[in-house]
Amino acid sequence: MKWNGTGLGFICLCIVMAAAPCMSADMTAYEIVKKSEDLLDQAKDSQTDILMTLVNKKGQTRERTLSASVKKYEDDSSKSLLFFNSPADVKGTSFLVWTDESKDDKQWLYLPALQRVRQISSSGKGESFMGTEFTFFDMGSQDIDDYTFTLLKEEDFDGEQCYVIEAIPKEVEFYNKITIWIRKGNFIPAKADFYDTKGEYLKQGLFANVKNIQGINTPTHIEMKNVQNSRTTILELSNIVYDTGLKDDIFTERYMKRGK
Amino acid sequence: MKTPGALLVVLLCWVLFPVRVDAYEYEGESLMLALSGHLESGAVYEFDQDTPNEDPSSELGIDFKADMGSVSSFKLLLRARDDGKVIDPGNTRLFNEFDRIYQDKNPFIDVEEAYVDFFTSYVDLRFGIQKFAWGRLDEINPTDNLNTEDLTQGGTNDESERKIGVPAAKANVYSDFVNLELAWIPKYVPYRLPTPEERWFPGILKAPEVIETATAAGNIPVTPVYEDIDLSGSGFKYSEYGIRLSRYIAGCDISLSYFRGYDMMPVTSAPTDVTVVLEDLLALDYSISAEVTYIPEIYKMNVYGLDFTTTVGSFTLRGEYAYFQNKHFNRKFSSVLKDELTQERQDAIMDEFLDRYLDTEDPQSSTTVRIDPQVALQEDSMKYGLGVDYIYGDTSVSVQFIQEYVPDFDNDKPVYFIKDGFDTLVTLSFKQFFLQNTFEANLDGAYDLEFKDYIIKPSVRYKFTETLQLTAGVIVLDGKEDDSLLGQYRDNDEVYAKLRCYF
Repeated sequence: MKWNGTGLGFICLCIVMAAAPCMSADMTAYEIVKKSEDLLDQAKDSQTDILMTLVNKKGQTRERTLSASVKKYEDDSSKSLLFFNSPADVKGTSFLVWTDESKDDKQWLYLPALQRVRQISSSGKGESFMGTEFTFFDMGSQDIDDYTFTLLKEEDFDGEQCYVIEAIPKEVEFYNKITIWIRKGNFIPAKADFYDTKGEYLKQGLFANVKNIQGINTPTHIEMKNVQNSRTTILELSNIVYDTGLKDDIFTERYMKRGK
Repeated sequence: MKTPGALLVVLLCWVLFPVRVDAYEYEGESLMLALSGHLESGAVYEFDQDTPNEDPSSELGIDFKADMGSVSSFKLLLRARDDGKVIDPGNTRLFNEFDRIYQDKNPFIDVEEAYVDFFTSYVDLRFGIQKFAWGRLDEINPTDNLNTEDLTQGGTNDESERKIGVPAAKANVYSDFVNLELAWIPKYVPYRLPTPEERWFPGILKAPEVIETATAAGNIPVTPVYEDIDLSGSGFKYSEYGIRLSRYIAGCDISLSYFRGYDMMPVTSAPTDVTVVLEDLLALDYSISAEVTYIPEIYKMNVYGLDFTTTVGSFTLRGEYAYFQNKHFNRKFSSVLKDELTQERQDAIMDEFLDRYLDTEDPQSSTTVRIDPQVALQEDSMKYGLGVDYIYGDTSVSVQFIQEYVPDFDNDKPVYFIKDGFDTLVTLSFKQFFLQNTFEANLDGAYDLEFKDYIIKPSVRYKFTETLQLTAGVIVLDGKEDDSLLGQYRDNDEVYAKLRCYF
């Protein structure tokens, strides 16, 4: 099963998991994740504004604002459209992704200066997405069946009791291992540690500022800190709305050109 | 060379312009307004100091957009610029207009785009000054002929800067089966060229200093005169239109197109006044000189196009094909005039002149005869290209192969930019981002296989802040022939730098 939520795959996974009610402590790690994922079907579509802050190793910051729209279909395929609203030199750029479990993702990029929509290959998924600490893989769809989950322990993180779940990919492609801290109280992830293909600690994701939006608990502050290059990307999500009945034609070349 | 005042203007702009000016945005229930723009200053250092100088340039760009709910919007893109190179002292107009090829750019205001959109469920309508973007290749699009180009920098700048917005009406009709785009340009808008005194004036429009006749007259000195285009007979006669059908089929974006209108590249006639001056009647000693008048000509053609893009593994594949029916090419002036000024033609002129001289009571010692050779050559042709892109994270590489083929090419009538019926261009574009996309290195280039000429454009860009960026680069051009597409600018190598502030 695939899900790319708000178009920001891992972020969406968090949002999905946030929807999960308190579950039995007897559940296995996989069941926790799977149950959370099943609850995702509550939201057929979503729209989100994103403030993206890039922090370099000197602590200097740069900001970008984006808008994301996502629609999920019955066959587990999904479509996402991302608009860049600032800074000025990328304003109007849009990025469309069609995800289908049985096929490679299809991606289109619209650059307003050229006024042309270009289909682009979905290769290089392990590379940085637009200079952030998220990779295209992080931003794309995830299939939890590609992982083996193990409940390692329970411990406090940031003042809250958490399950600590280890996710090992069945085929190591981008990460050797991901360790996820999930809050016991509401099943919202609090932290995730990513290990590179050599097994070395690569980056840490933090998920905070949880808000209840249309009955769905949603982390609205997400940080990805790369410990190897000391750079951080911070995402602040706002104006999140679910189930507005987004039309299919939103996810077409027509709307990529028209803009937000 | 202009006065040092230009530099002063540039400096004043930066002093008076705050380092950071916020864009204006208003968001109401049914109305959204956004005003943003940029200020840019640039300077060029020419490697060849014998070419005309360029002064520092400055530019103010204004981008205004108003969204009226989801049914309509208005966009205005203005550019006010002092480009430091194209000067026409006789031109008193401030705005770039749609009726002239030679326009002053010190300073000027260009309405790049100004249009209103209307959106319905299945149809989008756009009226006003606009730019079209047909085709899938980079920079060179055989199927994209709706907008002419500003060639005041020899075509070496980006396509988005070259393309001239034209007053037009456009309708996009969307359906599940196919998307349809209809475009109508009521009146042809000509391309723009620098004035003959400028660095980027095309070498092929520079008259030869002499015509080598290999006759008794020897080398005939030539004086060029440049006329602007005459579009006085405007109306439907000058209108252009096009239709494009697009569909996504099995992972492939594919389009078919048809265009009826004018060629976006210059075609020029060259009527020549040949003046014979009798120096010594008894010795029959005479001299001949020629004045060539370059007059832009436009010819209607049909363009049938096909383009597509798809992905194959890790690569993006792009292709484009266009068949040009009734396209016109410029024959090489030197060969045309050489053919016209044969010994027989000179003898005929001289005989006619002597007859008149001897039969007239008040004889003139000179006469002028107009020769109007057929410089434009009509030939069908086809132009096609294939491009491959590879993107890996912060690195992107694109290679294109673009060829023009003239099936009925006649080697006895040589034309510019075509050799033995072919012109083949290989282009490369490489981009690498560093430092969280704040620094980028670019390498763009093109090599012509027939003419062995090339352009190489390495550049770097650094963003000091989100609103302030510096671009610096080099343009290197070379070619064995001074009348090939790139070789005509082989003395124009330069280093440039541009500082741009967004607001």
